Amino acid sequence: MRLASCRPIPISFMTDPPPTTPPGTPPRTPPSSPPTPTSASGTPAPIESTPPTLRQLFVGMLQVALSAFGGGLSAWSQRIVVEERRWMSNEEFLTGLTVARLFPGPNQINMAVYVGTFFHGLRGALVALAGMLLLPFTLLMVLGLAYFSFHSLPAIDRVLAGVVAAAAGMALSMGFKILGQYRSDPVALLLAAATLVAMTVFHVRLVPLVLVAGPLAMAWYWPRAGVSRLPKP
Amino acid sequence: MLPLPPIALLAATAAGQLAHCEPMRLNDLGHLLQVMGTFMGLSLFSLGGGNTLLSEYHQISVNQFCWLSSTQFADLYALAEAAPGPSSMLVGLLGMGAGWPEGPGWALLSAYGAELAILLPSTLLMVVACLRWNRLRDSPWRIAFERGLGPITLGILFAVGLKILHTADTNTPGLIVSLLVCVLMLRTRLSPLWFMAVAGVLGGLGVINR
Repeated sequence: MRLASCRPIPISFMTDPPPTTPPGTPPRTPPSSPPTPTSASGTPAPIESTPPTLRQLFVGMLQVALSAFGGGLSAWSQRIVVEERRWMSNEEFLTGLTVARLFPGPNQINMAVYVGTFFHGLRGALVALAGMLLLPFTLLMVLGLAYFSFHSLPAIDRVLAGVVAAAAGMALSMGFKILGQYRSDPVALLLAAATLVAMTVFHVRLVPLVLVAGPLAMAWYWPRAGVSRLPKP
Repeated sequence: MLPLPPIALLAATAAGQLAHCEPMRLNDLGHLLQVMGTFMGLSLFSLGGGNTLLSEYHQISVNQFCWLSSTQFADLYALAEAAPGPSSMLVGLLGMGAGWPEGPGWALLSAYGAELAILLPSTLLMVVACLRWNRLRDSPWRIAFERGLGPITLGILFAVGLKILHTADTNTPGLIVSLLVCVLMLRTRLSPLWFMAVAGVLGGLGVINR
């Protein structure tokens, strides 16, 4: 499990292998009344400190964002939320990663939303989000203003040409990163290939593509008793 | 140079150049709201951590609204990847490009507006999902969604990778660097910042250009 090692990882797309939460473990009653969105843990993991206040949530997410300035946002948020501040158990955190990857939106941002919602619902989500984004977004705005002011300078443009080549390589690697998990599922590969052709050759836009292909794929993979459309691992 | 059929490539370039594109500048609140609406509509389609939307961002900001040139889009993508924090903050930079001709004030306003718009719907859905997760977890909808949308995400990510490579539009050394970085991303744990720094030096020296 890549994230469990808590080493900062370079940049996490959705490409990390999904964390393994034990399936079918009985729901655990939360220690306090707020609706805990998780039940992945079989043993009642003790949460030693009281749930964070909104202010603590904001500061904690600020710390996560600040620590992750070299990369590895997910790993840092696990280290700070689980290990340092002990706001939630590791199982609860991993459940959050599962939900964050499953639902639309950037993974790290969804993770902040999960942590915020876990303790304070929608208000917590917005506070956590603000804490997570405040510093990086401000910095990005400064970079952006600098870019639009100076990008026509030849020296800047030349350096950017190189950086863009590297960034294109990073973009190209995104698909390969998750290719492995579909290797033994020919239908999945066929679906992926059809999607690729539709977008690059026929220039089908994303929204109609997902609205048509999504339900078809969901129908194919709909869980049926006794029939597994997934390859044996 | 790219593994795209030449005819399709030609058609894409022609469409990009010939399509009548009225630059829509964000010089009033109506335009700003329209842009925010566009991004809000896309928010729930950001599968796979948000990177699936990159082609659509290019379509919107370069072809549809003419905020940016294709080169600028590639620059901003690289900038968002290099900067700390979630790379999905690219949307903020696109919004900034939209408002830039009206001055830094509008640029910042539309940057915040665009970022807010792309995050709001997915955040609200995520909050609901967290609160209902106990019921959702074993629902057949959840399982079918996860398994079914996975392969589609895979296909989109490959298409997005090719799109960005096409947008980067560098010379042959640049393309070799792109492919090398792709392999290194998959084979090593090195921070991509190193790749961008080295490639930036190569660009400064004139080895990579476009």
